Amino acid sequence: MTAPIHTSSFSGYPFTDGCYDELVAATGQPRLPAAAIARFIDKHGRAELLARQVLLNQTISAMGVCFTLYSEGQNIDRGWPLDVMPRTIPLSEWRKTSAGLTQRLQALNLFIDDLYHEQKVLKDGIVPADLVLDSRNFLAPCRGVSPPFGVWAHICGTDLVRDESGRFLVLEDNLRVPSGVSYMLENRTVMKRVFPELFADSTIVPVDDYPHQLWKMLASLSPRPGDVPCMVLLTPGIYNSAYFEHSFLAQQMGIELAENTDLTVEDDGVYLRTLHGRKKVDVIYRRVDDIFLDPTVFRPDSVLGVPGLFNAWAKGQVAIANAPGSGVADDKVIYAYVPKIIEYYLGEKPLIDNVPTFLCSDEKERGYVLANLDQLVVKPANESGGYGILIGPRSTQVERDDMAAAIIANPRNFIAQPTLALSTAPTLCDGELEPRHLDLRPFILQGQDLYCSTGGLSRVALRKGSLVVNSSQGGGSKDTWIINDEV
Amino acid sequence: MLLKSVEHIFWLGRYLERLDDTARLINATSHLLIDSHQDTQFGWPILLEVLGQDSKAILGTAAAAVEGEQGKLSVADTEKAVMAYLINAADSPVSILYTSSALKYNARTIRPLIPRDMWEELNALDLFLQQNCSMAVSRQQRYQLMSEVSRRCQMVVGVLDGTMLRSEAFDLFNIGRHVERADMTTRIMDVMVLQQLQPTQIKRPKFRWTSILNALGGVESYQHYVAHQAADVDAIDYLLTYADFPRSIAYCLNRAGASARGLPHSVSILQQVYQLQSLLQHQALSELSTEQLHSLIDHIQAGIISLHQAILAPCQASCQAPLAAQTQQKSA
Repeated sequence: MTAPIHTSSFSGYPFTDGCYDELVAATGQPRLPAAAIARFIDKHGRAELLARQVLLNQTISAMGVCFTLYSEGQNIDRGWPLDVMPRTIPLSEWRKTSAGLTQRLQALNLFIDDLYHEQKVLKDGIVPADLVLDSRNFLAPCRGVSPPFGVWAHICGTDLVRDESGRFLVLEDNLRVPSGVSYMLENRTVMKRVFPELFADSTIVPVDDYPHQLWKMLASLSPRPGDVPCMVLLTPGIYNSAYFEHSFLAQQMGIELAENTDLTVEDDGVYLRTLHGRKKVDVIYRRVDDIFLDPTVFRPDSVLGVPGLFNAWAKGQVAIANAPGSGVADDKVIYAYVPKIIEYYLGEKPLIDNVPTFLCSDEKERGYVLANLDQLVVKPANESGGYGILIGPRSTQVERDDMAAAIIANPRNFIAQPTLALSTAPTLCDGELEPRHLDLRPFILQGQDLYCSTGGLSRVALRKGSLVVNSSQGGGSKDTWIINDEV
Repeated sequence: MLLKSVEHIFWLGRYLERLDDTARLINATSHLLIDSHQDTQFGWPILLEVLGQDSKAILGTAAAAVEGEQGKLSVADTEKAVMAYLINAADSPVSILYTSSALKYNARTIRPLIPRDMWEELNALDLFLQQNCSMAVSRQQRYQLMSEVSRRCQMVVGVLDGTMLRSEAFDLFNIGRHVERADMTTRIMDVMVLQQLQPTQIKRPKFRWTSILNALGGVESYQHYVAHQAADVDAIDYLLTYADFPRSIAYCLNRAGASARGLPHSVSILQQVYQLQSLLQHQALSELSTEQLHSLIDHIQAGIISLHQAILAPCQASCQAPLAAQTQQKSA
């Protein structure tokens, strides 16, 4: 599908062989949703694009949009990297994609609720019991707890990639404390300041509904329905790498930003220390990992937790989003079973497929993985942020040998996937538009209702040929434009 | 509002005001130089002393860094060392750069309480200072730079006034600003007193440092004040008691008191405010010797410390020191 216009805006664009480009069709013409940005380049030229990138960088530093890196024990704030070129997706395609994402989250929540109750899915042999019961993400103290609506993972950040045909696939589900949505929102604010003329024709669907939807979802979990809920965002503190997001979301929702020292538990009630004395808390949007939540139940050395919080939650005195124990379903080994999980609970075919995945716990698949390490991407089951990954075709023999030893020592802890030809999008690099690989993280909410963000956070690998999009490892971002093609 | 935030929003107000006032203090002393006779020399170390710093130690370190001077700094080098300490020294707890970092730290901690427009102004202020304060500057450039610091501080206050929710946070921010301003005004008066004379039993002379008042933005209203007073008054009376001038101690106390009324611990705060106000009311200022004046300023400063403690008392009572979250977790 290309635009019914002829432009020279992408002439000479150096496609990456075998990869789908998000904005430019093989003919060199822009795809339909990219028509507006292509016309802009035609009219104003590359020089203007460069000027807008400079303006964009200034806007980001004026707005104070940053992320925090740890380096040699120090925290360094970096300006958030945003590329001036947007990533465009037609609304008609996005509707189908978001239906697939909400389908997936519904099934995952039914799965988690089952695991902590009857475990039918294990008894019926859909998922091998030992994979779940031996997982360190399966938290035994959560058994028998019934959170509102049977929902455990209220906020999900699902990573999508496109394959060489342009089809979206799920790369992973993030069900613990997914981050990035604040950057999705700030990217849009920045782009509106930088390209006011492109937003004037209003075919770009707004994204700013998210904080309100998040608030509504959290409020639906309150143990005191009908009354104004007291809600807090629990952060590990200002030195956490996602603190910018924590403070941003608390502000956008108008809720308190609390650290563990601001909370106390008495008689299974959670209370906030305020200037006017203590106030009972109904809902906690926690951005602290499970095992740090409550030192009396999980890691006793946690300095981030609130003693007694777990019991308060288990007795229904306070709602916690995401609920403790949700991480059991975002294990990368469980990921391989999600298509079956969807069929088992919903009786539906998955609307979005998984990336083909080999389980190292399976003897036959492990043999294949060990024999083909130079072709595959190997991921540890429980790491996030892109750490500990081996990208076969870019690895050295030493790295592959180390990985083989690690797999043999602990097969359960690894999965492998074919090296994907991730889609690309034109990205401004040293003054030229060059293809760079990217993924997409939409944010899906489930409480009383289901909601999927409009698009999501597009993360782009800024180094030529790189597949690593994490901002901690040289990744950047793009504003994701869902373009209304239905008018 | 979180109990913990009380401290941060109060300090946000104090640091913002401190930034503005330090810039004004630097400019005020630069003006003093211009006014001084050639045979009198401005005592640069006084500037460090009134900010509670050990001038001997600081200048000793500076002297050690200047080679071939046998540990003795020239007047020009002394000025340079003092100004570096007040503007950009990394190890100075009173420098403009340090204050800006502290401002940013507090703003970051209570970001949800701060309107976006103000956040952006604060951010721009910090960026400006990081870029411009690091270079050594001539007196003329210094004047420009300090004027710009004051101007930008006023912009932050203006944006806040136009956008911030009228809440306890807003009240605490304003209390912080006025407590700091009162504190700085006493320090500026100290410079005037100490610069003029060593404290003695002799009845003090009249202080007419119009250049200092100019740096405080108060020279016109000072003329207005003098023209409308029956008694023979001077700059000290003006800075202490003239409640219509927004940098006088009397004004700052009125404002801090007014902002404290809605707080749950207003009683103990107002008690401290009244005590300070009575200090001002029962003094025949023009009859004091310079020594008595110096001691009055000391009393006011002690009162300001008590006021500060009364404001933060609820936090001290029940806040644990927030643990630095060193055990960081990675977020997905």
